[in-house]
Amino acid sequence: MSDAGRRPLDLPGSTGTRPEPLRIGPSMSFRARLTLALVVGALLPLTVFGVVLLITEVIRTGNLDTTLVQVVLFVLAAAIIVAVSFAYVLTNNLTAPLKAVSKAVERASAGDLSVRIEVAGEDELARLVESHNRLAGALEQRNGELRRILMAIGETSPRDGLERLVAHATRSARAAFGMIDTRIELGDPTMFPIEEDIPGEARPVRAVLALPDERVGVLLGHLPATRGWDAADQDLLELYASEVAVAIRNLELFDQVERQRQRLVELDQAKDEFLRGISHNLQTPLTSIRAYAEQMGAEKPDQRLGIIVEQSDRLYRIVRQLVATSRLESGTMRPGKEVLAIAPRVRRAWDALGASGTSFELDDETDGWLAIADPDQLDQVLWALLDNAARYGGGAPIRARVAPRPNEQRLAITIADDGPGVRPEDRDRIFERYERGAAGVRAEGTGLGLYVSRSLCQAMGGDLILEPASTSPGAAFTILLPAEPPAMES
Amino acid sequence: MLAGGWRGGGAAPRILIVDDDPNLLVLLADQLRNDGFEIQTARDGEEALRRLDGGWPDLLIVDMMMSRMDGLTLAREVKARADLPIIVLSAIDTADSKADLLEEVAEDYVTKPYHYPELRARIARVMRRLGDKVPRRELVLGPELTLDLRRKSATVRGESVQLTPTESRLLYALAANLGNTVSTETLLDRGWGDTDDADPSYVWVTMRRLRQKIEPEPDRPVHLVTVRGVGYRLVQHNPPAPSA
Repeated sequence: MSDAGRRPLDLPGSTGTRPEPLRIGPSMSFRARLTLALVVGALLPLTVFGVVLLITEVIRTGNLDTTLVQVVLFVLAAAIIVAVSFAYVLTNNLTAPLKAVSKAVERASAGDLSVRIEVAGEDELARLVESHNRLAGALEQRNGELRRILMAIGETSPRDGLERLVAHATRSARAAFGMIDTRIELGDPTMFPIEEDIPGEARPVRAVLALPDERVGVLLGHLPATRGWDAADQDLLELYASEVAVAIRNLELFDQVERQRQRLVELDQAKDEFLRGISHNLQTPLTSIRAYAEQMGAEKPDQRLGIIVEQSDRLYRIVRQLVATSRLESGTMRPGKEVLAIAPRVRRAWDALGASGTSFELDDETDGWLAIADPDQLDQVLWALLDNAARYGGGAPIRARVAPRPNEQRLAITIADDGPGVRPEDRDRIFERYERGAAGVRAEGTGLGLYVSRSLCQAMGGDLILEPASTSPGAAFTILLPAEPPAMES
Repeated sequence: MLAGGWRGGGAAPRILIVDDDPNLLVLLADQLRNDGFEIQTARDGEEALRRLDGGWPDLLIVDMMMSRMDGLTLAREVKARADLPIIVLSAIDTADSKADLLEEVAEDYVTKPYHYPELRARIARVMRRLGDKVPRRELVLGPELTLDLRRKSATVRGESVQLTPTESRLLYALAANLGNTVSTETLLDRGWGDTDDADPSYVWVTMRRLRQKIEPEPDRPVHLVTVRGVGYRLVQHNPPAPSA
């Protein structure tokens, strides 16, 4: 019984070797043996009686009366027929319940546990039938428990929260195991002492909510005193308890992930707010500094005022870079699409840098092509690239070339310096965030210039690439932008 | 570089500047007064609204981020009272998603820290537009084309098409002279008055792109018509019943 109960679960601990099944009697069928016994039992006395009668007759008369022999043979033949028929009926009557039991067992093993057999009387057969009925009933009940447990586990969701999960698990356990009361206590199971089982009173049951690495809590309850409780029931309860433990662990993990996600969202918003605030708080004084210096310079030219204007512009560009990074990350960057002539813009961007010590050459081959870009964002890209060239080029002349690529419907702006160039091992890294190449942390700037520039170019439908080292002695970057061919008045 | 200030005939245009940075307020007022504008200032949105009660300026310059009433709220309040042109001064640039909100209430915007010549050019550009009278709501140009210049959008064959700020400025100038020719120079001035590197090819390329957006057949334009050697004309077809 207990083995049958375990089989569908395959519980740990139940994998011991099974005893060999008992073999009873010879290989001849039960019915054949019974028939044979009946026939032999009925015919043997009759045959002996006939033989004795014939022998007595031979001793008394000296010869064998053929009529008597015929009568004896006839009686024997009749007795055989009667005995066989009677045996047939009797064995049929005796084996029918056995057949019914066998059929019921077959159906039970095929999964239909609802079949019960009814036999009158209190003989051995009745007891066999009853024990089968009990077995089937126990199996059916356990199947029901298992189904309810599986359903209860399937119904829980990590979104429900711990309280609801525990309440649900408690309810399900009570219903599935037919307990009088059930509770689930979280925490160390040893805090809840084991109750004594007093015969005649409600039977206490208990199962630890165990995970491989932790004991989450304990499931406690009481069963009606009349309810049987064997090892298989306990295994099932422990299995259930461990499933509840897994569900609680899942819920904790889910909670943790959810909290972290929420925290990240908040941090991201805080960062955006912070950047917005910073940019406003920096831009406000910068606006005054720059405007006053510009106004004073207009009244009475002074090189020092020019430096103030240039440096506040520089600071402003750094702020813009930070804000652009934040916006690129949050996906709120939406560049405009305006028609722009590129060469004058490159020239103006260079002038704005105030890198007067470095010579700058601009080669305009646009031939009437106009770029389609966002003017503010393009300026940022040009500043970053020209600033890089001026800083890392070591004072060597900087060359810019603007030329269309008619097949691609694009304009290419190449900015090249004669500096040391980009080391081969840095070529892939320089477009990453906070990357400063060989100069490391001592370098000026945010380390965002190339990352922001490339992202901005891509957002405008173009790209930013580092030209192969063979094409230029120093570093050469090319901005690609969507462009329109020259238009005639039409 | 640019048309210098406001030294033309007539009364000096009045500008109300709203900014919570007093340094900037004093300086900007100074700069604009030097260029012949009549300037009023306000430190916050409420003060600005009080000043409006005392008389309407010709133009408002509003800081976007103010501690008490932000620029957007103020601009909406103002627009609810009258269609005053507004230039927003802000840390926001063209690619910010909040720029859309600005476009709905502001005629133009200048990023901080501003370059005074650029700001002055934007003011001049907005002032030139003041005389233009275009429908405040939709302008139906034909069965397949409707313009909504305030929203900077067009409806082409039932589908909404977004216009760039420059495209809508050109259309604004053309719509104000519906059916009449607007010279390429005027369009260049309206679209690119704040830069000095624009040439007529800007207008041509933009018109070509605009036709791709709004003309049913871009190669045979019926609404954006070229007037050779002069400029362009915006043409209305099948005007709907006056009730519409």
